[in-house]
Amino acid sequence: MAVVDAPTSRTGDRAPGFGRPSMGFIFWLSVTWILLVVLAAALADVVPLRDPDALGVRTGEIERFETPGKNAWFGGDGQGRDLFAQVIHGARPAMVLSAAVTSIGGSLGVLVGVVAGYFRGRTDSVIMGVAEIMFAFPAIILLFAVSAVWGMTMAILIPAMAILAVPGYARIVRGVTIALAERDFVDAARAMGASRSRVVIKELLPLVALPAIAFGFLGFGLVIATEGALAFLGLGLEQRTWGSLIAGGQGLIREAPHLALIPATAMFLTIMAFNYVGDGIRELIDPRPIVVGRKRKADGHDPAISAASDALLSIRDLTTSFPTAGGTVTAVDGVSLDVRTGRSVGIVGESGSGKTMLLRSITGAFPVLGVQRTGRVVVDGTDLLTASPAQRSTMLGTEIGIVSQNPLTALNPVRTVGSQLIEVMRVHREISKAAARARAIESLAQVGIPQPDQRVDMYPHQLSGGMRQRVTIALALANEPRLLLADEPTTALDVTIQDQILRLLSALCEQRDMALVLVTHDLQVVRGWTDDVAVMYGGQIVEAGPTAAVFDDPQHQYTQALLASTPRLDLRPHSRLAAIEGQPPSLVAPPPGCRFAARCTIADDRCRAEDPMPVQIRDREFRCWYPGTGKVT
Amino acid sequence: MSAVARLTVRLVVVALAVSFASFSLLSAAPGDPAAAKAGFSATPERVAEIRSELGLDDPFLVRYGDWLAGVVQGNFGTSVLNQQPASKLIGDAMPHTVELMILAQIIALGVAIPAGVYSAQRPNGWFDRLAGAVSFGMLATPPFVLGIYLAFVFAVRLDWLPAVATDLPGLLEDPVENLRQMILPALTLASGMVAIYVRLLRTDLIETLQQDFVLMAQSRGYSRRRVLWRHAFRPSAFSLLTATGLTTAGLLGGALIAETLFAVPGVGRLAVTAIFTEDYDVVMGVVLLLSVAFVVTNFVVDALYTVLDPRVRHGSR
Ligand code: SF4
Repeated sequence: MAVVDAPTSRTGDRAPGFGRPSMGFIFWLSVTWILLVVLAAALADVVPLRDPDALGVRTGEIERFETPGKNAWFGGDGQGRDLFAQVIHGARPAMVLSAAVTSIGGSLGVLVGVVAGYFRGRTDSVIMGVAEIMFAFPAIILLFAVSAVWGMTMAILIPAMAILAVPGYARIVRGVTIALAERDFVDAARAMGASRSRVVIKELLPLVALPAIAFGFLGFGLVIATEGALAFLGLGLEQRTWGSLIAGGQGLIREAPHLALIPATAMFLTIMAFNYVGDGIRELIDPRPIVVGRKRKADGHDPAISAASDALLSIRDLTTSFPTAGGTVTAVDGVSLDVRTGRSVGIVGESGSGKTMLLRSITGAFPVLGVQRTGRVVVDGTDLLTASPAQRSTMLGTEIGIVSQNPLTALNPVRTVGSQLIEVMRVHREISKAAARARAIESLAQVGIPQPDQRVDMYPHQLSGGMRQRVTIALALANEPRLLLADEPTTALDVTIQDQILRLLSALCEQRDMALVLVTHDLQVVRGWTDDVAVMYGGQIVEAGPTAAVFDDPQHQYTQALLASTPRLDLRPHSRLAAIEGQPPSLVAPPPGCRFAARCTIADDRCRAEDPMPVQIRDREFRCWYPGTGKVT
Repeated sequence: MSAVARLTVRLVVVALAVSFASFSLLSAAPGDPAAAKAGFSATPERVAEIRSELGLDDPFLVRYGDWLAGVVQGNFGTSVLNQQPASKLIGDAMPHTVELMILAQIIALGVAIPAGVYSAQRPNGWFDRLAGAVSFGMLATPPFVLGIYLAFVFAVRLDWLPAVATDLPGLLEDPVENLRQMILPALTLASGMVAIYVRLLRTDLIETLQQDFVLMAQSRGYSRRRVLWRHAFRPSAFSLLTATGLTTAGLLGGALIAETLFAVPGVGRLAVTAIFTEDYDVVMGVVLLLSVAFVVTNFVVDALYTVLDPRVRHGSR
C-alpha cells in the first residue's frame, strides 16, 4: 500500500514525547507497593509486630473477631490473632515462591525460546508443539492433582510451577528472537566466524532480557494468584500465606468479613502492581502511538464555492497529516485541484508522493488513526470536510463511487457479492430487496461478469482478481455517481486484465458522463486514458495540465525526469531501474525550498532555500524556478 | 478421513493418554483407598480384604486394564464414600457445571462484545481507556478474590443473592431460583474471560477497521454503526470464536474455584471432594470426562468456524 514512507516504529526507536509509556504516578505507586511487600517479606521477623500466632483471646490483647481499628489495624481472627501480623508474615511465602518460580521458570523459558527462535526448523516445531499442549491443559487442575498426591511444600510447588511457566516465556522470547535473528548484527557476528551457540549467548540473550523481564513481572502476579487458588482449594503451602488466610476467612464472610477481604485486597493490590509494572516495561519496548484527532461539525453547504467554480470536484488548499512514532507526517500538503464533469484526471507520482492519501482525503477513510484534514474538498457544492455526517454519507453514497487499489482486499471476505451490492443500494435509496437483487445481477452483467445470476451468490474469494475488480466497479457504480475515484485500479492485476479494466472504466465514464480521478504510478496509463494530469511529488502537486500538453512539453524538472526515464515508478528507490536517482523527501520535516531539489540536476541555492511559487499559464500550472529546458538567465 | 472419524481418533487418543497419566499419578499417591473405604474402626484384616476385593493388590497395568474395561462397558466404578456409582454422581453434577460454563460464556461475550467494539471505535478515547483499565483490573483479580468480593457485596451487604448454591434446583424446575444462585459463580468465572475477550476483540477490530474493505465500506457513505457491525465485526467475530475454544481449559480450572467458593454441586466440587476423600473412581471419572469435554468443545468450535466462515468453508474444497 502506498501511503507514505513514514518512519516505521521499530523496537527501540522512539521520538521524544511520543508513544511514551505511562510511566506516571500509578507506575511509581506500583513500584512503591512492590518494594513495601518485599520489605514486609524480608523484615517480618525483625520489625516490632505482634506474634502472628499469639492467641489474643488468651493474652487479652485482641478480642475474638475484633474489627479493624486502632488496637489491631487489620482486626483479629476467631482466636484473637492479629491479622496485620499475619498478613505481613504471609507476604514472605508469596514472594519466595514467586521469585523462585519466576527466576527458574523464566530463565529456562528464555533459553528454550531463544533456541527455538534461533535454530528454527525442527527444533522449533518440537518445542512449540510441546508448549502448545501445555497451554491447552488447565494448569490449576494439574497443580491441584500434583499437590493432592504429593502434598504441598515449596520443594514440590516451585519446580511444578516453574515447569508450567516455561512455555509462556518461551513463546514471547521466541518471537523476539526470530525478529532479531534477521537483523544485520547477528549476521555480521556469524560472518565473523562466531559459532551459533556463541551468537545465541553473546548477541541475543542480552536483547531478549528486557521483554522477558516485562513478562516476568506479569508472571510474578500469576504465581501469587495461583498459590492463592491452591490454598483456597485447601491444598496450599503448609506455611501461612495470603491464600490460606483468605481461605480461612472465606467461611466467615458474614460474621467477620475483614478476615477474607483484607488479605484478598493485599493480594489483589500486589498482583495489580506487578502487572502494571510489567505492562509499563513492555510499553517501553513497544511504544504505541498516541492517537489524537478531533472532528469538526458544521453545515458543509457553501453557496460561494459552488457559484465560484463550475467544477464537480474542487479541492482547495487541502492538507492531510497524521501522527506517527517519528513525528507528524504531512502526506498531502496544500493541494488544490479541480475536476469538471465528464473529465478524467490522472494523478501520477512515486510511492510516497501522497497521491493515494490525496484520494483518501476526499472520502475521509484512512488506514491510519488520527488523521487531520484542513482546506476544502467540495463536491457539487458541498464541502465534505465540514458536512454533517448525514450529508457526507449521502454524498459519498450517491455522488461518489470509489474503486480501490487491490480488488483482493477491497471486498468483505465473509459476505456474498450480491449482499454487498444490495446493501449499497438499499442504504442510499428506497428499493426493495428483490428489486435490488435484480439490479445487482444487471450491474454485474454491465461490468462484464459472465453468468451474473450465479456469481451474485458467490463469495469474493471464489472469484478471480479481475472479476473481483469488476465487482468493486459494480459496487462503485451502483448508485449512479457522477464522480468516480479509482486508486491504482489495475496494479494488482496482470497485464491483459489491466487493459480490460481500464477500457471498461473509460467506457462507463463516457456512457454516464462521469468524472474520473485515476491515481496511478504508470505514465502509460495516464497518457492513454486521461484528459488531464496532475504530477505529485512530496505531498504537493508540482505540475498539472492537459495530459497531451504536459507529455509533449513538460515544465517541472521532476516531470521531465519522469518522462525521460523508464515509465516504471513502482520500483523501489535506489534500485537499478528506478526512475530517478535518490529518494523522495521526508514528509515529516520536508526540506525548505523545492522538494525535488535533492534529486534535481539543475538545482541551485535558490531552489534549496525558497519554495517555488505556483505558476499558472492558461490551463497549465507548475511550481519550479527553472521550468522547461532549464536556466535561461 | 471424515470429520467424525477424526474426532473419534482424537478423542480416543486424548482420553487414553489423560486417563493413563492420571491413573499413574493416583497410584503413586500415598493414601490407601481401601483404608478409606473400610473406615476408621476397621481391623487390618478387614482392610486387606477390601484391598483384594478392589483389586488393589494387582500390578499397576492390570488395574488400569480393569478400569478401562469397566469404562468401555459403561462402568466407571463406585464411590467409596456412599457406594453410589461414579457415573451417577458425575451425571448428577454435570448439568450444573455445563450450565455454569455456558452462563459464564454468555455473560463474558455479552459484556465483551459491546465493550470491545466501542473501544476499537475510538482507540484511546475515554471509553477505550476506561475499558482498558477495567479489564486490566479484571486480569489482575484472581477468580477467588473476585468471588469473595462479589459474595461480600451482593450476598452479605446488599443481601440480594444467596452466597451459596447448596440447594440448587434444576434450571428447568425453578429457573428463577436457579439463576439467582448461579449468577455470582457465573460472574466470578466470567470476569477473567471478559478481560481476555475485550482485549482480543479490540486489537482485532482496530486492525480490521483499517483494512481495505472496511475503508471501502466507509467510503460508500455507510453509517459508522453499519461499518462497524456489518463489515468489521463479522470477520473479527471469528477470532473471538477461536478464543472461546481456547478459554475452555481455563474455564475448567475456574469452575473448580467458583464451584468450591459458592458450593455449587457441580463436577469441580465433586472432584475436589473426591481427591480429599481419596475417592479415586470418581476422580478418574471426572478426569476422563474433562478431557473428553475439552476435545469435544474444541472440535465443536472448529466445526462452527468451518460452517460460519465462508473463507474456510470454500477453501477446504
Ligand atoms: S525548483 Fe529548482 S530544484 Fe525544484 S525542480 Fe525546479 S529547478 Fe529543480
